[in-house]
Amino acid sequence: MKNSSPARGWLFFAVGLVAAYAAGVGLVYAVSGSLTYVHLVPILLATVVSATTLSWGASGFSPLTKGFLGLTLGGLAGYGLGLVIDLLVQGSLDWVTPVASLFSLLIGFTAFFLGVAGLNAVSKGLIWQIIGTLLGAIFISVIRVAMGLAWSGPFLFTEPAWVLGGFMGVLFFLAGSGSVSDWFKWARGIDTPEHHEESHTGWEKYLSISLDHKVIGIQYTITALFLISVGGLFALIFRTELAASQLQFLTNDIKLFGQSGPQLYNTFMSLHGMIMIISILLGIAGMMNYAVPLLLGAQDMAFPRLNAFSFWISVPASVLMLMSLILGGFDTGWTGYPPLSARAPVGMQMFFLGVFTAGWSSILGALNTIVTVLRMRAKGMTAFRMPIFVWAAVATSIIALTATQLIGLAFQLVMFQRLLGMGFFDPAKGGNPVLFQHLFWFYSHPAVYVFILPGLGIISELLPVFARKPLFGYRWIAMSSMAIALVGFLVWAHHMFTSGMNEYLRVPFMYSTLLVAIPTGVKFFSWVATLWKGKIWAPTPMLFVLGGVVVFLLGGLTGPPNATVSTDLHLHDTYFIVGHFHDTIFGGFVFPFFAALYYWFPKATGRRMSETLGKIHFWLMTPSFFILTFGMMRIGLLGMRRRIVDYDPALNFDATHLVLTISGYLIAISVLVFIYNFFNSIKNGEKAEGNVWNSRSPEWQVPSPMPTHNYDQPFEVVGEPYDYGLPGSKYVEFITPVKSGQK
Amino acid sequence: MSHTQDKSSAFSQGVLVFVYLAVLTLLEYFVAVTFNAVSILVVVAVIKAALVMYYYMHIYKLNEDSGDDQHSDAYKTGTNRIGLWLFLLSDAFVFAGLMTARINLLGLTRPHLNQLLGLAVTAVLLISSFFMNRGETAMAHGDKKGFFINTLITFVLGLGFLFGVVAVEWPLAAAEGLTPSSGVAGAVFYMMTGMHAFHVFTGLLFMLVVLNNARKGVYSAEKHWGVEAAAVYWHFIDLVWIFFYPALYLIGKLL
Amino acid sequence: MGHFLVVGILVIVMAVFTYIGLDAAGLMPLQASAQAVSIDWLWNWQLIAISFLFSLIVVPMVYSLIVFRRRKGETGDGEHIEGNTPLEIAWTVIPLFIVLALAYMGAYSLGETRRVDPNALVIEVKARQFAWTFEYPEYGIVSNELHIPVNKQVLLKMESADVIHSFWVPEFRVKQDVVPGRVTEYRITPTLIGSYKVRCAELCGSSHAYMESPVIVDSNTDYTAWISTQEKIAAEAAKTPEGQGERLTVRNGCIGCHSLDGSRMTGPTWFNLYGSQVKLEDGRTVTADDAFIAESILDPKATEVEGFAPTVMPPYPLTDAEIANIIAYLKTLK
Ligand code: HEA
Ligand code: HEA
Ligand code: HEC
Ligand code: CUA
Ligand SMILES: [Cu+2]
Repeated sequence: MKNSSPARGWLFFAVGLVAAYAAGVGLVYAVSGSLTYVHLVPILLATVVSATTLSWGASGFSPLTKGFLGLTLGGLAGYGLGLVIDLLVQGSLDWVTPVASLFSLLIGFTAFFLGVAGLNAVSKGLIWQIIGTLLGAIFISVIRVAMGLAWSGPFLFTEPAWVLGGFMGVLFFLAGSGSVSDWFKWARGIDTPEHHEESHTGWEKYLSISLDHKVIGIQYTITALFLISVGGLFALIFRTELAASQLQFLTNDIKLFGQSGPQLYNTFMSLHGMIMIISILLGIAGMMNYAVPLLLGAQDMAFPRLNAFSFWISVPASVLMLMSLILGGFDTGWTGYPPLSARAPVGMQMFFLGVFTAGWSSILGALNTIVTVLRMRAKGMTAFRMPIFVWAAVATSIIALTATQLIGLAFQLVMFQRLLGMGFFDPAKGGNPVLFQHLFWFYSHPAVYVFILPGLGIISELLPVFARKPLFGYRWIAMSSMAIALVGFLVWAHHMFTSGMNEYLRVPFMYSTLLVAIPTGVKFFSWVATLWKGKIWAPTPMLFVLGGVVVFLLGGLTGPPNATVSTDLHLHDTYFIVGHFHDTIFGGFVFPFFAALYYWFPKATGRRMSETLGKIHFWLMTPSFFILTFGMMRIGLLGMRRRIVDYDPALNFDATHLVLTISGYLIAISVLVFIYNFFNSIKNGEKAEGNVWNSRSPEWQVPSPMPTHNYDQPFEVVGEPYDYGLPGSKYVEFITPVKSGQK
Repeated sequence: MSHTQDKSSAFSQGVLVFVYLAVLTLLEYFVAVTFNAVSILVVVAVIKAALVMYYYMHIYKLNEDSGDDQHSDAYKTGTNRIGLWLFLLSDAFVFAGLMTARINLLGLTRPHLNQLLGLAVTAVLLISSFFMNRGETAMAHGDKKGFFINTLITFVLGLGFLFGVVAVEWPLAAAEGLTPSSGVAGAVFYMMTGMHAFHVFTGLLFMLVVLNNARKGVYSAEKHWGVEAAAVYWHFIDLVWIFFYPALYLIGKLL
Repeated sequence: MGHFLVVGILVIVMAVFTYIGLDAAGLMPLQASAQAVSIDWLWNWQLIAISFLFSLIVVPMVYSLIVFRRRKGETGDGEHIEGNTPLEIAWTVIPLFIVLALAYMGAYSLGETRRVDPNALVIEVKARQFAWTFEYPEYGIVSNELHIPVNKQVLLKMESADVIHSFWVPEFRVKQDVVPGRVTEYRITPTLIGSYKVRCAELCGSSHAYMESPVIVDSNTDYTAWISTQEKIAAEAAKTPEGQGERLTVRNGCIGCHSLDGSRMTGPTWFNLYGSQVKLEDGRTVTADDAFIAESILDPKATEVEGFAPTVMPPYPLTDAEIANIIAYLKTLK
């Protein structure tokens, strides 16, 4: 056997797993005196240790192995540190204390990146985030002590201390990672070069600050995939609990991160919602960052530093979201309605802060996209000659730029209500809980169109390529994106039909909501007409496009029943709604996102992803997904409420819920197949340097992978983007011809 | 009034606009203390906002042709300008949200505040905008000394505003029983003035940066995007106050 | 033309089958109120629209995929068709009409559900974490079960003591949030005698899932009988301290969290509580005597019972006399 090989890896994996699990059980026994086999400590220990040994066996002492080693050691060290602190402060040892878990998470995470690539932007940023958090928290605690107030709370520090700490953590991350150093130089009057020479080549550049939009696009995409996995993992955990009625493992007796089982369910469920939503925002930012400048023929985004900043601020935001799980969690759903959110534990504040921070990422990214489209187009690229995805990106960005502020404000008001007793939503002080819902949905409804418009843009972009036919009604599709975005601003109160808001508002909001169906319909009909009489071929990206169309259609068509007030009175807050939005989100984002990844993968890497694994991914995910949402909608209609940890056995939903859980696992397996395919293909995929899909758009006219400076020769737009089937037609012409690249 | 002017007519235009704004502000104040007419207040605020956006913030510059050469400085400034305005648009939504909250929670009532102090800080902020405009105009005409003096005055006035609100008005209001936790009125008052004060604070920091860079000779008549940005941002803060001032001090009956 | 004919027929066939399939799947719970009728009527039209529109898109799509697929060895492109303005206008305008029709029907059926009967029976509903309390002001009755007579409109005036809850009986279809700081109204005309459950539909905390209470639609005779028994119970209870204590626990919704039979709910059970040894989170054990119980009611955060979250139970500022009555009642739970 060689020194390192896959087989050796699995062997080491098995050994590591068993040994670490046994060690964990032994540890728990030694300390608590009881022999429990299902305990968090052995399970987590076994997971990280076996990952380390797997990587060690398979690839020797590679960066990944070092990373996992860092994770294990850092996690243990952090846990120990937390226990010691707890012992000093509380005078007692609690094995599931949030403090130890928090330190374990933060330090483990940081050590992972330290192990992988030494002191890079991520690990420096994370170290500084930890320091900033502690400094902020200690600062407030000192003030409190000086004022004669208690400094310690159930989660070590008091709530105000954690809030300032969380906030300072973000600032420290940004400063420490180096994502704002150029701006500081400008502020001191020092000029910086337009573009820095990349200090790293190879994969390390993805862990360092880069101003290249392609690198940033990929950074976004990887972060989004990571968050989808985390959010999906949460879904699997709570779906397992739901597989049967009664409480299975999230029982009242367990106590984890300061929460009982049902509270933990609520935290997982709420974080699932919001982490998934953030992952969507990062996913679309990834697609837009990578594709928009390429499609426009631009060298980069309009503001490369702002672009890097927008990405990097999402990293501390993700850390805050995970901190909210550990600091007591919260039990409000992703919507965070007060007064409940005004009473939830400290985790609520971390959640608000995390969303707030991620919101800035979204706002600034949107700003950059709009300016790029307005100012950086190639010669001859008039508005109606832009690739259709660009239209979708603009429509999305208009919403993200403006509406996002309102969710930030809504959350900010609750944060201050908690911190200073400001009575915005507290009826006892004359506040109005329904006001929060208006502010919240003013963003969060348009946001759902933020999720889908880029996805629908991908569908419109790819359909002509694989149908070998012009996009039917290009201008109508372009305008429909704008129409959806603009009408989308006027419909928010359809989430509040039962909320007790003014009765007379319900009917106008019903009309405006239903109006959105019209531009959306235009897209669907045009897609069908695009396929009609084409010469359709269906490799993996096209499969995901088609799957996306059908799934989104189902989601869209279940919208009108929610939008008509009287039926919504029954449907509101049931699993019917849950089914509706998983359909729209999967159809409008997840499927097209995968399509885009399969489609542009060769452009980014010069290699193809495995077609077989891609097909397995598709054929595993799609049917499972249909079953998942059909089941959700059916039980929803029959009386299954949302956001419940347990359901009445008398309703006879057990069998359906079991099927739903199994479908959820099947989707997760298909995603794992994808993740394997993705990373494996980067190294071992079949080489593909030319115009793989025989597309007309400019980025495929030059060889892959795309060089750092996008187009050596600028191009000029000389025709329509989608004139497939028109002999002799051309979309772009390079001002001095390039040699390679077919056709 | 056309946009391409020599320095002295640009200065006198600034003065004229300032006089309009000052008169309108006084009008507003007297409308509020003599009779209760929300519609007049709204109209006056909109006119003031339009004046500031056009003459101080030069919104028309968004339309300026900056040529085809994407690598020229003029083109880049044009791009930056769009970016800045989009940022302000986005930021405006926060303030619009605060306004919505205020209208929803307080309706046609207002908290009990010190009217004279309100008028005073409003005047200070308005005057600071006037000097900011002067400073920017000076720089645009290559008058670095003029820029420096006027911007310094702006900075001092801005500091005065911040002091007036945070160090004088807040304690005064709190002494009268209007605290953040005393009820919605207090919550709305402190949140609106607080968010605005935060912007004033960042505007002052921005100004410091610009002053420092000017001292180092970074800017010239042709190339002074930093100065323009700081000025536009400062006027935007004034613009917000143009709406917040009547919303907090003038509209409606006393609570 | 041939293609269009085939696709047209397939669309209609598929739409019909989809509708029949959905209809047969039995997607709605029992229909137990007059309001449900107009809602189900609209729902049925929605199903028809969904079946048709789904087929309208999916059938031509699948047809194209099969008929217009690129066959082995083929390379060329499809036909160069860029668009068709009349067609675009058609599929903008026709859905517009469908949408307007749906919205009109929605408004109509909303109007039906909101129809007011001035003689409606008024019941006051109090929602709190995690219990429903129903008060019949005419009779002075307080209950944790909602009893209503069949075929008579009921008007629920709902208030919340803490966070937002939502009143939903799936068989009645209609749902209405209960918001602190205001009174929301809920009108229903039950039409089917039976026993249902109100299920809180707005996430309100850790035991949201269990915030369910019986809702019983009685025949008129059963209803009057229930009313008179309840009146008697109330009158009886007023005579003894433990009776008054029992009424107080109903009125304050204590039994939303405390069981009387030893089973575990959000809070510790009251069965055999009085005088028992209670284990606290910090390891101490105390006797559940008068002082401990009074403290648990007035300031629940003061003592942390092992295995229960101390922040869940709100403090109840009850008078000493009321607390004494509750203690008297607790003593009877053996
Ligand atoms: C990607 C996200 C996405 C998208 C695109 C949509 C699209 C739509 N949504 Fe959905 N929605 C969500 C995500 C999304 N939604 C989420 C996350 C929630 C829950 C939030 C929470 O509470 O947690 C929600 C909840 C929600 C509600 C509130 C329900 C409740 O809580 O009571 C309503 C009510 O009106 C609604 C309506 C609609 C409508 C009318 C559309 C329309 O845009 C759909 C338009 C599309 C079509 C109609 C299909 C294609 C059109 C044709 C084929 C033309 C012909 C059609 C007709 C003539 C009808 N949605
Ligand atoms: C992007 C959006 C998105 C996505 C993709 C999903 C995906 C899934 N969702 Fe989610 N869901 C939401 C958005 C989303 N959801 C939102 C917004 C809510 C509302 C929350 C609220 O009410 O507040 C919600 C609520 C929600 C509920 C209702 C909970 C309740 O009301 O109590 C349910 C119940 O079944 C559910 C299930 C699932 C399942 C089974 C998946 C599956 O598709 C998940 C499949 C799994 C994966 C995709 C992960 C695969 C990867 C791994 C397993 C690897 C793990 C490895 C590492 C961590 C390294 N979701
Ligand atoms: C929202 C749920 C909830 C409601 C409503 C509630 N309780 Fe409790 N109660 C709890 C919980 C949880 C505990 C245990 C934690 C603690 O000690 O505070 C508790 C503890 C108690 C105890 C101590 C019991 C023991 O085993 O030591 C008493 C007595 C009590 N409650 C009485 C009442 C009374 C009387 C009411 C109504 C007026 C009431 N509770 C309403 C949740 C609730
Ligand atoms: Cu009450 Cu949920
Ligand atoms: Cu919506």
